[in-house]
Amino acid sequence: MRHRFSVEIKKELPGFTLDVAWTAGDGVAVLFGPSGAGKTLTLQCLAGLIQPDAGRIVVDDRVLFDASAGVNLAPQQRRVGYVFQSYALFPHLTVAGNVGFGLRDRPRDDRQRKVGEVLERLDLGGLADRRPSELSGGQRQRVALGRALAIDPALLLLDEPLSALDSPLRRALRDELRAILTAWGTAAVLVTHDFTEAYRLADRIIVYERGRVIQAAARGELLWQPASEAVARVMGLRNVLHGIVVKSMPDRIQIAWRGHTLEAVNSPTRSYLPPPDSPIAFFVRPEYVRLVRKDRSALDAAHHMNQMRGTVVGETDFGTVWSLRLRLDTRGMPAQGEFDLEVEVPHLVYEILDIERDRHWEFSIHRGSIHVLPT
Amino acid sequence: MSVDAVSALGLSIRVAIVATVLNALIGIPLAYLLARRVFRGRALVDLLVTLPLVLPPTVTGYYLIVLLGRRGWLGGPVYALTGWSVAFTWYAAVIAATVMALPLLVRTARAAIESVDRELEKAAYTLGRSEWRTALEVTLPLARNGIIAGLVLAFARALGEFGATLMLAGNIPGKTTTVPLAIYTAVQTGEMNEAALLVLALTVLSCLVLVLAGRLGARAT
Repeated sequence: MRHRFSVEIKKELPGFTLDVAWTAGDGVAVLFGPSGAGKTLTLQCLAGLIQPDAGRIVVDDRVLFDASAGVNLAPQQRRVGYVFQSYALFPHLTVAGNVGFGLRDRPRDDRQRKVGEVLERLDLGGLADRRPSELSGGQRQRVALGRALAIDPALLLLDEPLSALDSPLRRALRDELRAILTAWGTAAVLVTHDFTEAYRLADRIIVYERGRVIQAAARGELLWQPASEAVARVMGLRNVLHGIVVKSMPDRIQIAWRGHTLEAVNSPTRSYLPPPDSPIAFFVRPEYVRLVRKDRSALDAAHHMNQMRGTVVGETDFGTVWSLRLRLDTRGMPAQGEFDLEVEVPHLVYEILDIERDRHWEFSIHRGSIHVLPT
Repeated sequence: MSVDAVSALGLSIRVAIVATVLNALIGIPLAYLLARRVFRGRALVDLLVTLPLVLPPTVTGYYLIVLLGRRGWLGGPVYALTGWSVAFTWYAAVIAATVMALPLLVRTARAAIESVDRELEKAAYTLGRSEWRTALEVTLPLARNGIIAGLVLAFARALGEFGATLMLAGNIPGKTTTVPLAIYTAVQTGEMNEAALLVLALTVLSCLVLVLAGRLGARAT
């Protein structure tokens, strides 16, 4: 690992307190969470644009801020590149002028060589003499990146870099951004409130909520093992449900829910063993609920576990998939208002099973698809 | 046109140019500080700079006499030491014009500076620029149109200054009589032709300045 940085920040603002501590290294660390969670504030503290009340910020053994030691480097001294949400390109300067802005203290030919090299690498070669107002959204993003990367920053900060773009372009540029960050190899911290974006761009995801870090993990770990119900909600996971523990073992956990006893896989990496009768939260991904085919149900049933019956009480066509809202046949209040489970089926399956007319179904959930959320 | 009228025209242009230069030197930094810095006494500075805009010019002139006159707070000691006083010299006309024009520049330039996106300045800081160089390379160039507009207003105000100039510099033909004073004197003494000529000259000059400023502004955008 070449890069290593640690962040510990406390900052009191009127009506908001930021109190976070996390570490990251090579690659891209994404600060993910809802707006107003303190993500951008963290970036500004890293860049030295806002001074924390307490804490310590160390990048590659260089102390940028240490409240107890009285260290607080000015933004000018930090060598931290900042890509602003609106890009903040200098409108009165050309593309070359923007990219070279951080290099003005270098000798002229050295500067020109560096600017040329950055423009070349970012595929901006032909645009050197253009003004920011004459560029497309994607080109502006690359100029903003180039300007920040030209100073060879120890750390690159990106604040919602894709939010200024329309959605088709957004997806293309997300992958382009990922490629640039990988190619450059600069350690980066990126802020976003979009989980897909976070997952695509991150090596490590730090989940923010109301000024605190509620989970910091590698992106795959976060996807499959959110640490708590709060994390699951911030991630926008559907079918976050509540049951009662029947029995917990290191590898399995049994949960009473809506008149059924569900069997779930317990996480092997977390020795989470709640006592019987205690409340427990879990989630089921809508695309992992399986409908049992009626034409071969006798043969098929043996392969299914956690079987239940229910009726489709609502549905939404998302173009490539249908989202069905299922209500269980068991008595009592449905778990999510009008329905118990959201189930996603591909268009083709919806047509083959003729779900439009046939509303009553038996379905199952594999125990590996029921994810327990520790409290 | 009489000799006095020609000298009044020359003096007015000279006073307006020097006052505008002084305005630029004092007013632009002041506008930047008021727009971007929080410091003790900021409200007081703001008040003092703006006051000449709302006070009758004769009142401002009176204060200038109290400050700079032969027996003034500042003027008194200077007179005692050197036997020279700024009052009733063409410098006094410059000072009066500068003070009267300053609020117009400061207010216009300040609004222009405040409208510059602060994120651009922050970007400059993270790219290693000091606040001083950021102001010179980012903030002021982007506020350029507003600053030019402010300077034009200041020049026009300096050219037309009457009340405060009369108080501090007096109305000495060939020495402190600027065009507005000369027009007043001409009308008082019934020399209507002379007054009309000076009025025409001042009108043409003001139009020229406006056209020139429009050109400058257009080129900046």
